[in-house]
Amino acid sequence: MSLAARDVTKRFGGLTALSRVSLDVMPGEVHGLIGPNGSGKTTLLNLLSGYYRPDEGAIQMAQQDLSSATVQQRANLGIARTFQKPRLLPTLSVLDNAMIGGWRDARAGFLATAFMLPRASFDERELRNRAEEFLHGVGLSHAISRRANLLEHAEQRFLEIARALTQRPQFMLLDEPAGGLTPAEIEYLGGVIRVIAESGVGVLLVEHHTDFVFRISDRVTTLDVGAVIKHGTPDQVKRDPEVVRVYLGA
Amino acid sequence: MKVSHRSWAVAAVIAVLFTLPWWSGDLYKVHLAALICTYWVLISGLNLVVGYSGQLSIGHVGLLAIGAYSFAILAGTHGMHPAVAIAASGALCALCGLLLGLPSLRLPGFYFAMATLAFALIVTEITLAQGNLTGGGVGLPVPGFPPPFDTPRGSYWLILAIASVVTWLTWNVARHTWGRGLVAVRDSVVTAQAVGVPVFRAKLTVFVFSGFTAGIAGALFAVLQSYITPDTFVFDLGLFFFVCIIIGGRGHILGPAIGTIVLTALPEMVAPLAKLGNFFYGLLLLVVVLLVPEGIGRVFQLLLERFRPRRGESHVVKPDLERLSRAIHAGRAIK
Repeated sequence: MSLAARDVTKRFGGLTALSRVSLDVMPGEVHGLIGPNGSGKTTLLNLLSGYYRPDEGAIQMAQQDLSSATVQQRANLGIARTFQKPRLLPTLSVLDNAMIGGWRDARAGFLATAFMLPRASFDERELRNRAEEFLHGVGLSHAISRRANLLEHAEQRFLEIARALTQRPQFMLLDEPAGGLTPAEIEYLGGVIRVIAESGVGVLLVEHHTDFVFRISDRVTTLDVGAVIKHGTPDQVKRDPEVVRVYLGA
Repeated sequence: MKVSHRSWAVAAVIAVLFTLPWWSGDLYKVHLAALICTYWVLISGLNLVVGYSGQLSIGHVGLLAIGAYSFAILAGTHGMHPAVAIAASGALCALCGLLLGLPSLRLPGFYFAMATLAFALIVTEITLAQGNLTGGGVGLPVPGFPPPFDTPRGSYWLILAIASVVTWLTWNVARHTWGRGLVAVRDSVVTAQAVGVPVFRAKLTVFVFSGFTAGIAGALFAVLQSYITPDTFVFDLGLFFFVCIIIGGRGHILGPAIGTIVLTALPEMVAPLAKLGNFFYGLLLLVVVLLVPEGIGRVFQLLLERFRPRRGESHVVKPDLERLSRAIHAGRAIK
């Protein structure tokens, strides 16, 4: 039932960004992915969510091969993600931004929506309720009807998580969610991520705040120059001499 | 409360528009109002393409021309019932929208605009060249609506009714999941993909819909003109539709409606402006783009927000983990 990369290689022109990297995210775990800048973390995340296709190897979910599936197909199968730089729709409200995550559950087609058939109103009510619950849950109760361009940085980060949750994902890929947050906000973020995982969602956490990653992850994978150098529990990875040498420092 | 306020406003607007022939004074103004409603039938469909999904079509005048000629040929030359001919014009233009959209909607913004421009120019050439069908440069007479819509007032009411229905349809699309998906296509394709919006299919769907409304508008426009030639469909008209939406504001419905009314009516009502038609458009466009780049619609939104009670502008994020957990479990229980 895991989301996995099997021996994937990705090249950009002459540059090999990833070479024969394997990683799997199990349901209900927080899987940390760390490594120096340029080690291929975001490339791997883009391969898992479908923005890139692997040159070799495969992306699988529950034994099903996804290597050539589009981003949209993977979203419909239950893979959600957030972005390093939050990508919100600035002219829409916070609630609308969260509701867009419910696209795959909106069954009413274009004409059914245009003629406001019962299915369209039903979808709308369902998605609104669901998105509102997630917004309250991640702590954006105060901003639900605000325009998204008026949000501060931390609010944007949590809104992206709420949008991803509205997709009802089985796997959630978080690209540096703690970037630019204060220590108190990182604390809240950790709580949110733990709750998401404990509800059975598999979380892949790409992050530079290594203390944070070691604290909330069940397993950690370390990349360096496009290859896995260590994989294991936070304690094992923390003590690995190679990881200390290339990334953590003495 | 908010919803009932809105219903009252809508009812008031409909009442004002319905009674227009009685209070407007002269028949020319009724004709002008009918023309505005006709333009609006096209522009409200085009608004989903330009204002919501951000595809810069400047060639909808070509679809308007196809709709107008097909109505003139079907209802005039072949004597088809006007109601059927209007629907057929809409269907034909929806098909043209599909054929134009299939290759061109994959092009990035500027190139798509050029493709629609080329389409409009080709349509003009075809109407000139196919003399047997279109009357060439001489043009075609257009039959009127059947009674009771054959008077200026009658045709105004018919066109108003059609415009209201089209407005309602686009309003529904814009205000629901589809509208959000279109805005995502406009503002962040990456986000649209991430949540599963089929970007190309969404663009194509609204483009076909805008073809349909352009075809209907073409038929109504032909009747109002009563005689059409290729010169009726100058390229400026296509630019005019586009400018109405930009001045009105992308992602709004009320804004472009006001844009359409102002840009159509002002040059007609204020005599000195008639001579300066294009100058006036240019000036207004410049003022809007420089001062309120988000358009008239945004100005209205900001005015409305002024009258709403302001709550504290807190920015503190404080998760409620129990509620979050319940919500995720509820979501995962859905099959």
